[in-house]
Amino acid sequence: MTQQSDGSFRIIGRSLTRSDAEDKVRGKAQYLDDLTMPGVWYADVVRAPVPCGKLLGLHFDESFDWTQVVTVKPEDIPGENIVDMTGLDMPFLAYDRIQYQGEPLALIAAPSKALAREAVNHVRAEVEELPAIQSIQEMVERHKTGLADSLRLLEKKEIRRGDAEGVLAGAGKVLEGEYWTGFQEQLYIEPQGMAAEPMESGGVYIRGSIQCPYYVAPELMKVLNLPLEKIRVEQTVTGGAFGGKEEFPTLPGGYCALLALKAGRPVKMVYDRHEDILFTTKRHPSWTRYRTALAEDGRIAAMEVDMILDGGAYTTISPVVLYRGILHAALGYRCENVTVRGFVYASNSFPCGAFRGFGAPQAYWGLESHVEDLAEQAGLGPDEFRLKNCLQEGDITPTGQHLLTSVGTPAVLKEALRRSDFHAKLARCDQGRPGAKSWYGIGVSFFAHGAGFTGDGEAKFGSRAAMELGRLSDGRPGLTLYASSTEMGQGAKTVLAQMAAEGAGLPFDRVFYPLPDTRVVPDSGPTVASRTTMVVGNILYHAGHKMKCLLEEAAAKHCFGGASVRLEGGRFFAEGVEARPFEEVAEVLLAQGEPLRTEHQFALPPHIRWDQERFVGDAYPAYSWACNVAEVEVDPLTLQIHLRKITAVYDVGRIINPTLAIGQLQGGLVQTIGYALMETMQVRKGLYDANRLQTYIIPTALDVPEMDLQFLEYSCDELAPGAKGLGEITMNGLAPAIGNAVRRATGCRLCAIPMRPEDLYATLYQGAKD
Amino acid sequence: MNTITRTWNVNEEERTVTFGGLHRLLDVLREDLGLTGVKEGCGEGECGACTVLINGDPVTSCIVSAVQVPEGAEILTVEGLEKLELGRRIQKAYMEKGSVQCGFCTPGMLMSSYALLSRNSRPTEQEIREAHAGNLCRCTGYEKIVDAVRAVADELEQGTRSTV
Repeated sequence: MTQQSDGSFRIIGRSLTRSDAEDKVRGKAQYLDDLTMPGVWYADVVRAPVPCGKLLGLHFDESFDWTQVVTVKPEDIPGENIVDMTGLDMPFLAYDRIQYQGEPLALIAAPSKALAREAVNHVRAEVEELPAIQSIQEMVERHKTGLADSLRLLEKKEIRRGDAEGVLAGAGKVLEGEYWTGFQEQLYIEPQGMAAEPMESGGVYIRGSIQCPYYVAPELMKVLNLPLEKIRVEQTVTGGAFGGKEEFPTLPGGYCALLALKAGRPVKMVYDRHEDILFTTKRHPSWTRYRTALAEDGRIAAMEVDMILDGGAYTTISPVVLYRGILHAALGYRCENVTVRGFVYASNSFPCGAFRGFGAPQAYWGLESHVEDLAEQAGLGPDEFRLKNCLQEGDITPTGQHLLTSVGTPAVLKEALRRSDFHAKLARCDQGRPGAKSWYGIGVSFFAHGAGFTGDGEAKFGSRAAMELGRLSDGRPGLTLYASSTEMGQGAKTVLAQMAAEGAGLPFDRVFYPLPDTRVVPDSGPTVASRTTMVVGNILYHAGHKMKCLLEEAAAKHCFGGASVRLEGGRFFAEGVEARPFEEVAEVLLAQGEPLRTEHQFALPPHIRWDQERFVGDAYPAYSWACNVAEVEVDPLTLQIHLRKITAVYDVGRIINPTLAIGQLQGGLVQTIGYALMETMQVRKGLYDANRLQTYIIPTALDVPEMDLQFLEYSCDELAPGAKGLGEITMNGLAPAIGNAVRRATGCRLCAIPMRPEDLYATLYQGAKD
Repeated sequence: MNTITRTWNVNEEERTVTFGGLHRLLDVLREDLGLTGVKEGCGEGECGACTVLINGDPVTSCIVSAVQVPEGAEILTVEGLEKLELGRRIQKAYMEKGSVQCGFCTPGMLMSSYALLSRNSRPTEQEIREAHAGNLCRCTGYEKIVDAVRAVADELEQGTRSTV
């Protein structure tokens, strides 16, 4: 399914079996809850009973024997009562204002889960309830009617190129559209789980199901009043994350750490599914409004976008989600006059957080729905309009970035349109034809995803990773890699080892990527932002190359009498003598007792320039590009939307492991089927209304249509070996492709996702017009 | 508390276990028998991560009370698959086809594959999907799981042909 890989690689580009697959199919992989922890106690949380209010007091029932349990109240916190994320507005335990229902007020640990729960039930919070903001609709209404001051603004940011307002003011016709998206739960199958225990040397050892070991440790320094080196964080085998285990685990990690330090024993907390859905982060609900003027020749003259995200109760990482949202909200088409304004307002629900795509799926729901209307206005087909206006090599993005290298457009668009026979099928769309037994529709979307941290973030961060020659678990010599990137299902453990092995000139099975532990791994950054393969892979590829040089030097000295030596494909070559296998030479080198270790630090291409204040410049080091085509059949009677086929073409740079890459794409697309058509939740009386797997419905094996998937490899040569981001772009564009297909099937534009039969009914029959 | 003692055949071995009357089969397997390959994903029989076979039938062990499992019952969990020819084939196909990502749904998914293929060695695409519809996976999009099951079915069919 992928194009031929570059023949100069031995290990990159091959579908090697995942190195963690065997343990997982044998049931041997130990997730947090599978680990034996002698003497462990169980954590539980006393939660706020109202979505907004003033806490007047916490009453601990005197009839309960509190000596059986350990409690942590705000006054027991050894450091500052604060969660140290992007914003500093969230207390670890609420003590005065309550900003969401379920906000932690006190922590309890007990020898059994049941006793911990019983203790929680013996605490009563006395509160004065205050009016709450509980929907994005309410937020947008206030924003539009000049009442924004009555909302808590968590962040705002603007992108400005040319003079969109001026052009729109003088334009004959301005096309306008408003688009909405709802909450989405990550729904990793392994629920959140963390454990902590006091260390003999002082400090605390925290383990759990996490994406970012180096988020948990620094974010807990203030609350625990401990220096970084006294907070050791180790990842346990992680059963899916999708952003849901990015910033969130700092909370349960902190609950366990506070309780463990007070109790002097290990404490763990594994969420049950109900609790996990109610009290963890969700994808930010969004509203976008597009106002666009077309030039007479069918080009885009000016585009103005407003974007609002519902951040939930506190800032957490919402500003970063907003930045990615606005950076993608007008990213796709040539236009010299662009304004994008973004706002995150607070509501009284659990803080929203990271979810695969990170603001970009919300942005593209708006942009790619809106572009469909622009095409019609221009008198062009949706395919023709996109081909005419799409960004290509040499074009300039809304932040003024020149797209110069690894630009897989318009190739992805052309290939997806060709493979799906789009143009011919467009003519067959039913447009709500009366009397039809089934309404057929086809829709397209075109989109990008910036890989890595925004702008020069990667340059400032300076991720590092290392490797060392030693013995692997089979007792034979090999390289152990040291990086903080986490395997959460996406295949990082395998793909990073492939890149390191390629750099080092060693076989794949001689390279091992362990679960990261902050005691031993350097900070190679969080496992987020579609950066791991591109950035950390690049670091390990280079560190591998350094290791190859080091091994060649040492082998020359100790095994080849000083002759010039070359290491390739696991064998050492020198002129005039027989090649010797890596393991034989490595045994000699290990016997010397000198550590053989290499390290590398990431460097951005020097031409990347970014102004974080003005949001001008090179917003991302590289972009992945894609086109999705969706075909649907809608039942005119039940209005059920049946997704029949997805055609998807992606340029994500060089493919490291084709089987894993396709697996990421299939998984991301199916998660987006849920986002587009099924997954619904709202806040009602302070809590998410769909709070179990019986009510929060995600796709099963029966909901997956035929999929025709293709990668086009526009290698990112500035960042060897050339991979760009893959994880997130899988979620950016399928929802609008389906929305556009539904429009062609029914003649009716749905402006909000998820698109359910009842939404279609309301739009078709209750007076709302297309 | 009332305790109950049962002897079952668990993964081809006689195991006697004593448990409290209200314990879920999932807890007895994980905590008393140490079979932590059996996963809890939802606790209400919706996600299928805790799927095990009782006398060949797939059940979600989080909503089966251990007391309901009769004396002498045969219980098969992911840990027992490698003792069985078909089990090993399915495990190998999952590894080779890329059917495993985070791995948390995998133990339950494998048991559904085993239950299907042990009864129907030539399932249609629809039958494969239906047999796994009770197992939620958030990583793979299911395609590579279906591929693995189909590959084992093809292998079984070829094996039958070659022995005929």
